Amino acid sequence: MAATIVTRKTDWTGIIFAAVLTLVIVFPLVVVGTWAFTNVWRYPSVIPQEFGLRFWNQTLARADVWSSISMSLTLAFTVTALSAAICLPAAYAFARMDFPGRNLLFFSFLAGHAFPKFGLLVAIAGIFLQLNLIGTFWGVVLIQLVGTLLFMIWIPVAAFQAVDRRMEEAARDVGASPFRVFWSITLPQAGPTIAAAILLSFVGTFYETEGAWLIGAPQVRTLPVLMISFINNQPVIQYGAVLSVLLWVPSFIALLFARKVVNSGSFARGFGG
Amino acid sequence: MTAPDQIGSVTPVRRRPYGLLLVATPVLLVAWLVIWPIISAVIQTAFVTTPDGGSAVSLETYSFFFSDGYSLSNLSMTLWTTGVCAALLLVVCLPIALYLRFSDSKVAAYVQGLAIFPMFVPSIILSFAFIRVLGPNGTVDLLLNSVGLPHIRSPYLTPWGPVIGLVWDNIPLTVLILLSGLGNVSNQAVEAARDVGAGKLALLWHIILPRISNSILVAISFAVLGIFSAFTLPYILGPAAPEMMGPFMQRTFRELLEPKTAITQAVVTFGFCIVFGLFYVRSVAKNRAA
Repeated sequence: MAATIVTRKTDWTGIIFAAVLTLVIVFPLVVVGTWAFTNVWRYPSVIPQEFGLRFWNQTLARADVWSSISMSLTLAFTVTALSAAICLPAAYAFARMDFPGRNLLFFSFLAGHAFPKFGLLVAIAGIFLQLNLIGTFWGVVLIQLVGTLLFMIWIPVAAFQAVDRRMEEAARDVGASPFRVFWSITLPQAGPTIAAAILLSFVGTFYETEGAWLIGAPQVRTLPVLMISFINNQPVIQYGAVLSVLLWVPSFIALLFARKVVNSGSFARGFGG
Repeated sequence: MTAPDQIGSVTPVRRRPYGLLLVATPVLLVAWLVIWPIISAVIQTAFVTTPDGGSAVSLETYSFFFSDGYSLSNLSMTLWTTGVCAALLLVVCLPIALYLRFSDSKVAAYVQGLAIFPMFVPSIILSFAFIRVLGPNGTVDLLLNSVGLPHIRSPYLTPWGPVIGLVWDNIPLTVLILLSGLGNVSNQAVEAARDVGAGKLALLWHIILPRISNSILVAISFAVLGIFSAFTLPYILGPAAPEMMGPFMQRTFRELLEPKTAITQAVVTFGFCIVFGLFYVRSVAKNRAA
């Protein structure tokens, strides 16, 4: 491994890693993709007897699929909008203002991460039980909102702090109002990072399964929750496969936009690495 | 994401506490939906209502948990799964991270892309893919059958099901955290050791591991926190009994309708993870403030 530091010959270690990881990580997903475009695949044929889109029509004709797609999108939009509305002003305050208890409050968002997540969800569910929020839309919104807070505050704080302060001061010196400075100088510089945070929290909420299942089921049925019931009770394999492909779309979009962020060293440092 | 400033150093725009108003809503949400539920869970499970309407300290629910055979076998199954996953993650991810740190070939970029890819695959799709590939009459069975070999003993619905799924799911962040730690190992240190004749193993043991021990602990803590109370993968891929703490708590809460018992189980998971949790949070806070 470490020997590759100076070698310039064929990178056999890398080729072995690449082959094994392709087999373990890509192959299972290719199998699911194949199932989604298969009309007939009977055991023990190694490849499907008939390819086709028949099950896309059947899956997309199901009412439960559409209702859970719209439930998932509504939830993700509501949670992300609420989260942005309360977190972005807070992030600006943490980055730019001085107030009592600033450090303590900033690090308080870490509190939830010191506990195993599902245990914390059960403790929250205990509170929701007394408030009759179990099985309601807003109960799920609240529990998913809490899950977005850390990212939606910490990433934008870093973005606001990275803005070049001299440009803001220069704009103010030539008479720009504070709002104008924010709109024309601060936001364009911090914008891309904030957009990445919003995208990550949208995608994270879209796939959030545990809170939705514990608090929302069976009344609030999101796409991942529907997928669980397809896996457990649906004998037609293609329904699950088609739903998997549909479900993957937001992740694919996140993959396109967030890869740079994820590959940067500061992302791992954000997780304590 | 840009390298953060010190949270302690700010050029204050205003000195008056307007900022408190702006941060109030998210802070109150954390207080109400994170800190209060934890305190409430501990209080709720440590007191019982006495017949005359008062309340008294009692650890009854905990003594039930720790004397109930089924609860204990779920707990030990969870401990086993967490331990095996943490060990496997290190065995799998450390070589990948070492390779990525010390290689600059084109293959390395592809390997890194693959190692990070599971981050963009929701665990529910992973579960489905697992069943299609390793489940009964899955793709592996098809391939074995086509060359005349017998079926595998499928890990689906056995304790190994969640192990495989959870390791797969946790590879990206473990690799990233270890890789970030390996950034602290300088090429000079490695070359100097090699100049005095250190072999690969000696290099790993005496030069590299001591410098990344903190990152290894962070990676393990993060994995333990995620795996100990994992829900989706053990619920779908694991055996019905004994079950891991995640599905166990969910069933106790929603199906057996015993919230107090479920909350007791939650506090037990808090207790088992508290050391990892505090260590993890301290590392994240230290990195953010540095």
